Amino acid sequence: MHKYTHTRISRRAFLAAGASLAATTAVPVGNAIAAETRNFRLVVAEGRTRLAGAKYPDTPVWAYNGAVPGTEIRVRQGDRLRVSVDNRLGEETTVHWHGLRVPNPMDGVPHLTQIPIASGKTFTYEFDVPDAGTYWYHPHQRSFEQVGRGLYGPLIVEEKEPIRVDRDLTWVLDDWRLMPDARISNDFGNFHDMSHNGRVGNLMTLNGREPENFGVRSGERIRLRLINAANARIFSLNFTGHRPMVIAYDGQPVTPHEAPESRVVLGPAMRADIVLDMTNRAGDRFTVTDTFYRGMEYDVLDLVYGPKQLRDRPLQASLALPSNTMPEPDLAAAKRSDVQFGGGMMGGMMRGMMGGRGMSMREMMRNGKAWAINGVAATGHVMDPLLKLARGQTCILALNNDTAWHHPIHLHGHSFRVLSRNGRPTRYREWQDTVLMAPRERVDIAFVADNPGDWMFHCHILEHQAGGMTGVIRVA
Amino acid sequence: MRKLFSLAVLAIGLAVAMPATAQQTMPEITIYKNPQCGCCENYADYLARNGFVVTVKPTHDLVALSRTAGITEEFQGCHLGMVDDYVVSGHVPVNTVKRLLSERPPIKGVTLPGMPMGSPGMNGEKTEPFTIYEIGTGTATGTGAPKVFAVE
Repeated sequence: MHKYTHTRISRRAFLAAGASLAATTAVPVGNAIAAETRNFRLVVAEGRTRLAGAKYPDTPVWAYNGAVPGTEIRVRQGDRLRVSVDNRLGEETTVHWHGLRVPNPMDGVPHLTQIPIASGKTFTYEFDVPDAGTYWYHPHQRSFEQVGRGLYGPLIVEEKEPIRVDRDLTWVLDDWRLMPDARISNDFGNFHDMSHNGRVGNLMTLNGREPENFGVRSGERIRLRLINAANARIFSLNFTGHRPMVIAYDGQPVTPHEAPESRVVLGPAMRADIVLDMTNRAGDRFTVTDTFYRGMEYDVLDLVYGPKQLRDRPLQASLALPSNTMPEPDLAAAKRSDVQFGGGMMGGMMRGMMGGRGMSMREMMRNGKAWAINGVAATGHVMDPLLKLARGQTCILALNNDTAWHHPIHLHGHSFRVLSRNGRPTRYREWQDTVLMAPRERVDIAFVADNPGDWMFHCHILEHQAGGMTGVIRVA
Repeated sequence: MRKLFSLAVLAIGLAVAMPATAQQTMPEITIYKNPQCGCCENYADYLARNGFVVTVKPTHDLVALSRTAGITEEFQGCHLGMVDDYVVSGHVPVNTVKRLLSERPPIKGVTLPGMPMGSPGMNGEKTEPFTIYEIGTGTATGTGAPKVFAVE
């Protein structure tokens, strides 16, 4: 089943052959160690990769092990993961294991959970992997630039008993702001991006390449693990001619259901596992489109049916994934807290606060801030907690997006159930770690605060995070 | 539709500083705007009500376009208009745009930085005069001290 995954990695390694660090191995090392501890090594360094088509030159990037995306870390639920990170960048970095419920010191947040890894230094992360699912890793240090230059990779935790599919594939989606010579535009952190919808790029890539057409077989069942690694772009993928069945959001199993309007919407940092049954005929061709931004829709790739039929009827095997290990929130005994997201262009930007006072737009611009949570435009990662939660307590956070923009809000260290949107209960009460709020939307989430420590709670449009939309939730 | 959006758009941006062409009675203006920004659409409607022929083009490349047009970050408006080889950045009132087109000064264009409350397309009450700056004066790259074009 994993034959294709390995093929894909080899191809990517081949594509990155021009990179100075291409010789770095992308496979687990130390196989002699007991099976349940899996060792990986990530070298963080500058490299080059081919992002755009053949008529463009390679792009200088920052990469894990010389490849974009970085090495796919693939382990089994319950394994212990040990990752040695060797920082050969000219600046500090960390690695955050997005969505995995790890102990606080392993969460990869600079200064809050660890001293950042200095240039030339190595740090080893080690933790047990409690839940199966589709996750990813990326820096939390100056992430708006480090992620934007290519530092991210998939982290796949296989179920002990996976569902039956013909192929299990990971599609890491990203976009890049390239100059006409295919170099990355250096305008990271500019105020326009920060105060609008973030750094949305001009080249979309799938697994680090401009997407190419994708061959399928009639009757085939494919599990697609979609990961949005973009700084700011929201994807809305339309699988025309197919019925994409969502089986997990953000790594966490959900009642299998057809994606509404056959469309899968993913804000930055969000993931979805979908199962696609290739129900059309040999020789058919269907275009996958991304229609999120009105007037800027585009074709991602074509699903091209090969000449051979794999089977004449779709598989009947169950799509339901086994449950993960999050404790169920006790809603009757929940503690409710309001969280207000404010700021941004067109909105109540003037109402944003820093240091406890109101600020004009010009002032905010001079301070490099545009957003606030509960009236505070935060700087960095270390701050007074926005909320203090008792360990073991069920918490409902009533999130209110009082802005004119979308925000994918990420909580570290926990997954939460999405209870309602604008007062209407959600149909599946899905578990997520990053919930996309539409402009002016109210979203209630619930979780058991069972993981002690100081945890980031922030917008994953990385320019919004840098622009003040970040906070800390303390569980003690 | 291809995935590589910007390179064509940037080429349009590079044409900004071309010499003036013949004047038109109904000025045609192209507004490059963030696809999710509603105020920019309000501004486009405002121009249309005031006799402009408006084409709205959503783009993710406003920062690059503004930079190419010679507008430093501090003076950028939130959208970019191109009219008769001039750049009009931000919520500039029509009287100033019309004056620019009739006087045809040797500058790249004008900008109203920030998003002042009460300016055309913006919500709220006007609280202070709008100061509209010239683009492209001072030095050829537009990096010199900004000159005021109009105060409304």
